[in-house]
Parts: sequence; C-alpha cells; structure tokens
Amino acid sequence: MASVKPLRHRLGRLGPNLVLIIAALYFLSPLLSMARFALQNVLVIDLGWHNLFSKWSLAGMREPFKQPAAATTLLLSAKLAVATVLLTQLLLIPTALFVHVRLPNARGFVEFLTLLPYMVPPIALVAGVIGVIRPNAGWFIRSNYSLVPFYVVLALPFTYRAIDAGIRAIDVRTLIDASRSLGAGWLTTLGRALLPNLKTAIISSSFLTTTVVLGELTMSQVLLKRTFPQFTFEYGRQNGKGGVALSLLTLVISTALLGLLLVLTRSRGGKRAGAGVSALLQEPTTATNKPLSRN
Amino acid sequence: MIETFDIETLAGDRSDAPTRWRFNRAWLGLVPFVSFLVLFLIIPAIGVMGKGFHNDAGQWSLSTMRLALTKEKAAFLNSARTSLVTALLGVIMGTLIAYAAATAKRPRWLRSLVSSFSGVAANMGGVILAFAFLSLLGRQGIGTKVLKSGGYTLYNGHFELSKPRGLGTVYLYFQIPLMVLVTLPAIDGLKQSWREATASLGGSTWTYWRRVGIPVLAPSLLGGFLLLFANAFSAFATAAALGANNFVPTKISFYFQGDNTGKSAIPYALASWMVILMAVSMAGYLVLRKWAERWRA
Repeated sequence: MASVKPLRHRLGRLGPNLVLIIAALYFLSPLLSMARFALQNVLVIDLGWHNLFSKWSLAGMREPFKQPAAATTLLLSAKLAVATVLLTQLLLIPTALFVHVRLPNARGFVEFLTLLPYMVPPIALVAGVIGVIRPNAGWFIRSNYSLVPFYVVLALPFTYRAIDAGIRAIDVRTLIDASRSLGAGWLTTLGRALLPNLKTAIISSSFLTTTVVLGELTMSQVLLKRTFPQFTFEYGRQNGKGGVALSLLTLVISTALLGLLLVLTRSRGGKRAGAGVSALLQEPTTATNKPLSRN
Repeated sequence: MIETFDIETLAGDRSDAPTRWRFNRAWLGLVPFVSFLVLFLIIPAIGVMGKGFHNDAGQWSLSTMRLALTKEKAAFLNSARTSLVTALLGVIMGTLIAYAAATAKRPRWLRSLVSSFSGVAANMGGVILAFAFLSLLGRQGIGTKVLKSGGYTLYNGHFELSKPRGLGTVYLYFQIPLMVLVTLPAIDGLKQSWREATASLGGSTWTYWRRVGIPVLAPSLLGGFLLLFANAFSAFATAAALGANNFVPTKISFYFQGDNTGKSAIPYALASWMVILMAVSMAGYLVLRKWAERWRA
C-alpha cells in the first residue's frame, strides 16, 4: 500500500499540472507577443521564428511620442489621476473615519453604496451623463476635469475598501482620545495622529485610483476627451505596432505601481499590509471588489 | 462635522440601546458622501432608466424598452452569447485552475503567484487587452503565425477578434482570473475530513465529488457564473478597442456619435436593460455568496 500511494499521488497531480501549464501558456502568450510587437525593430509582417532574438530595442516605444498629442494626452491623464486621487481622499477619509467612530451602524449601508458602481457599468453611467447632466450643466461636461468625479465613482469599490481596511487595522478611538487628552484640536489629531497611521491605506488607494484612471476608456471615448488611453486607442488604429507599444507602456506603469505597493505595504508589516493590495487582489468578498469598471 | 465627537457622546452611542427609534444626528455626517453619489451616480442612473421607460410622447411606457430589444436584437444576441459562453468556460477553467493551485504542495509560491496574477489579469481590460490580443491573434499576430506553421488557419472566414468567437477568446483573459479569485476561498473551504469521512463510509473519489464536493461548491460556482456573465455583458472598452460594434455596450456608444446625439431614446433603453441585468446578476451573486459562506467555518 505504502509503495503504491506515491505513484498514484504523482499520477493524480498530472491533471492539475497540465491545467496550470495550459493556463500559463494562454496567459503569457499575449504578453510575450505584445513585447515582440513593441520592442522588436522588425516589420510586423516579418516577425517569425527566425528573428526571435534580433533587433530588440526601445525605438518602437519612442515612435508614438513623436506625435505632439502623446505628451499632451499623457499630461491630461496625469492631471486627471492627481485630481481623482485628491478628491477620493478628501471624500473617503473623513467619511470612512466618521463611519468608524460615530456611526458603526451605518457601515453596511455605506458598503452597499460603494457597491453601486457595479450595478451601473461605465457605459450606462456615461449614457446618464449625456442624457441628464449634459443638458443641464453643459459647461461642466465641456471641461476635461468633469471626468474626475466619475473616475472617483468608478474607482470607489477599490478605494473605499483599501481605506476602510486601513482604518480597521488601527485603533482610531485610542488615537483620538490620546491626542485629545494631550490638548490637540481636531485638525491636529487628524493631521498628526490619524493620517500618519493611515499612510499605507492612503498610498494604496492612490495607486489603485491611478491605475483605474490610466486604463479608463469608456467615459473619455464617449464624452470625446483626449486622455492617454483614448490617444492609445486612436493612434493604434492607424499604427498597430504603436498602439501595442503604448499599451505595453501603460501595463508596465500600472504593474510597477502595484508592485511598488506590494513592496511598500509588505515592509510596513503585519495585517495592515495586505489591506491595500487585497482590495485589488482578493476575492470580491465583504466589501465588493469587482473589476467591471475597466473592461 | 468632525468637531462634534467627544468622549461622552462616544460612550453614549455605545450604551444607547436601539429599542426605540430616534433620529441620530450623526447620520448627517454622511451628507457629503451621499450627496456626491447622488449627483454623480444615482441621478445619471435614474435618468437613464427614466428615459428608457418613457415613450416619444413623454409618457411612462415599456414601448422604448421593447423597441430597443427588437431593433438591436443582433447586438443582444451577440452580447448574450459571448457572455454566456465566456461565463461558462470561465467558471470551468477558473475552478480547475483554482483547484490545481490550491492543492499544489510545491512550489510553495505557486498559490500566491496564481492569486496575485489573477488579481492583475482580472482587472486588465480595455485598450491594453485589445492590443495584446491584436498582437497575438490579429491577422498578422504572432499566435496566428504559429498556428499557421502548425497547419491551422485561424482566419478561415469565421474568426474575427470583433465577432463573438474572437471577442470571447479575449474576454476569457479577464473572466478566468475573476473566477479564480471567486472560487479559491471556496475550494480552501473543502475540508480534508469530509473526504476522509466519505472514504471511511466506502465512497470513492467520484462519490466524494458527486455527493459532497460539488454540492458544497455549487453556490460559489453559480454565483461566479452570474458575476462573470454581468462582467462580460457590460464590458465596453475591450469591445470598442477591437471594433466589435455589434454588441450592446458598443451599440450604446454608437447612438451617441455624430448626428444621433440625443435624438433617440434607444441608447437609454439599452443602458436600462444593462442596469437591470447588472442589478439582477449582482443581487443573485450576493445571495449565493451568503449561502456559500455557510460552509466556511
């Protein structure tokens, strides 16, 4: 019996291992072919086995940036990302702290609200913007920055979860009591006791927001805003290779941000660490995490 | 709003038994957040539904919703087919991958690699994903060439990245990882002791799966199916970037281009159908998830 079991066990792993290998092939091949398109200085039509290792260079990455629109759209997307991050923090930190300290009963209600963006996918939201908001506040929608509040909404399920997890990981009441008993005012308490302890949650939610803004096409496309994803889309229509290069660049930036986030949160140790990253990486459990917004 | 909390009220909040209802002024602290959502999410959503459920004469009616269904039947069928098939395949493949990763003893980092990668891939979409697959399975794609050298012509007249089969292939790239994320905790919840109990009662591996494993996983699998269906049905950016014009989300944007702007109520009806589908699937998903959690002690 004892000698049979290892063999059976090994055979038993054959199926699962095969599944993992096939999955790895499916998930890696688009990334690898993207790298070849973007980073090999070879005409797309000539790409084949024989030149797999030749003429790798960054020239393909530089090509799209000869267009003046590349810089302007990238700048706009960067500004939108900063504005979205600021508005998100301004809105969510006080709300999440307030719910935690004063209104624990409202937690379920607020979590439900952060779920709502899933019920209204971006394309339906933008239909509402065109149908209801544009006729009444055209001046607002004409501004490029009108995208900001909608991006805050689209990123809400990720960002709220990250901030909420950060707040749960620290003892807010004790920090407030201690700070107040030392004679600090509310602003001092917020600025010198609470925010420093929420640094990880703030960084996490900011990075998550940035990746959402860098990937968002729906709103900018329908509302005719020239953001970087929109430029990638337009440029890629005329020049497939360039589109692939810009997409790869966006992917690298987003992944680098997430990787940095992973490193930053890990070095800060403990439970709190997982908080931010898990908002993106984990099952859509308790607080709702589902990537409807970006596809 | 923050200056109102002090230690007395904090203590008061905790000891106040909620036996009789009275208005808690603390709820006013939610006003900024709630009004932000009302302005930028709820009003647009209600506006869409309002326009979808009115006829041209401005009366409440189902006629626009019906008209949208018949007029854009092809888009609905394409979207429904793609979403159903990718949800089904996503559930099957995602569960198999999650099972393989959860039960693997070596290498140790495999499991966290699978779950981290799934987190990134499930959130990948839009332009990036579209160009990744254009470079792989486009007419000049590298995968297309590899298949050709293997004797298989991908572009045999039925395949286009902008048609259901091609778009489905692309959607699986975020559908499968999403299912992995949904189902990993459920698979972790399967207890070794259940398998041993089955064996000691004389059951085979097959008995275990048929009588214990699958029934316990069923709510998670069904919930995952609903989630994946909703996810694929509402995906706009990937479809748009691949030029897949005959799907519900891309149809909505088509109506807002050029001369059509604001003249037809059809896009609002299409968007309303989408919101209804989302709400139903998400509600089903949440109910099933609650049910699935019973088994996780």
